[in-house]
Amino acid sequence: MMVLVIGGSGSGKSDFAEGEACLLGGEHGGQKYYVAAMRVFDEEGRQKVGRHQRMRAGKGFVTVEQFTDVGRAAEGMGEEPAAVLLECMSNLVANEMFDGTAAGNGWKRAEEAAGKIVRDVEALRGRAAHLVVVSSNVFEDGIVYEESVTEYVRALGQVNRVLASMADKVVEVVAGIPVTVKESGEDGRGGMGCRKKRAAWK
Amino acid sequence: MRLVIGGYGQGKLEFVLGGLDVSEYGVWDGELPGDGKWSGFPVVNHFHRWVRGRLMDGGCPEAEIRAFLDRCEDCVIICDEIGSGIVPGDGFEREYRERTGRILIELAARAERVERVICGIGQRIK
Repeated sequence: MMVLVIGGSGSGKSDFAEGEACLLGGEHGGQKYYVAAMRVFDEEGRQKVGRHQRMRAGKGFVTVEQFTDVGRAAEGMGEEPAAVLLECMSNLVANEMFDGTAAGNGWKRAEEAAGKIVRDVEALRGRAAHLVVVSSNVFEDGIVYEESVTEYVRALGQVNRVLASMADKVVEVVAGIPVTVKESGEDGRGGMGCRKKRAAWK
Repeated sequence: MRLVIGGYGQGKLEFVLGGLDVSEYGVWDGELPGDGKWSGFPVVNHFHRWVRGRLMDGGCPEAEIRAFLDRCEDCVIICDEIGSGIVPGDGFEREYRERTGRILIELAARAERVERVICGIGQRIK
């Protein structure tokens, strides 16, 4: 089973994704792994990581830091991991695009970065009974950024689309509420009491 | 409490007022009704602007909105979704987005219903 969880800043997507990984991994009984893609640069980053560590504490995850090449995170994992939680695609795409190996302008093209990341995620998925991937919604601020940022947004958009097509389930977390975007074999919104008409408030 | 969220310019206030089943209401724009200042059913519009203002003034929006709801549980809070963009370079802007998001999680958990408005149409998500 593969689940893609998306959401904006402070949406509660991590909390929900952890719950999914625990639920799926719990059925299996094997080890759960948390693959952390976020590089820490400063105090703010340390605090963010600290908050996530406190959230995960006691839930039985083994943490693997893998800032690029996430396919390799599987190397140190046991026989068949019960569940792998990979967080966050927004960091991973930035790490891969701006890793300093690209010639010319200094960043990889969206297609190149997205293609590599998808292959790496496929490798992870091949190893684990269940894979939960956290990604970010960075697409709705309407701001036109410089070329490298625009390319980054495009890459993340491509990654999200391909991962969503691979996934059995896609969930957008909004104000801590999971809104199902896709469920096994089904596309489009539904599931969460979707309303097309105005509802009267009493 | 009823929470209504959505992107900018999606018709959230119109959606709320169009379906409101009370004879008297007051719309508060980017502010909370103060003690004893209101009569009728409060509709708090642009709640994110209130959060932003409180952060700029060094207030604690989390504690203040909790205290307000303890006094006035029966109301509508309307807030833009502001977290779905590139993480801002400015520290205050990052904090504003993050804390607004966390406050919305708390309000959504507390709300009797949560609706998300797009193109003027509300989808009930709780």
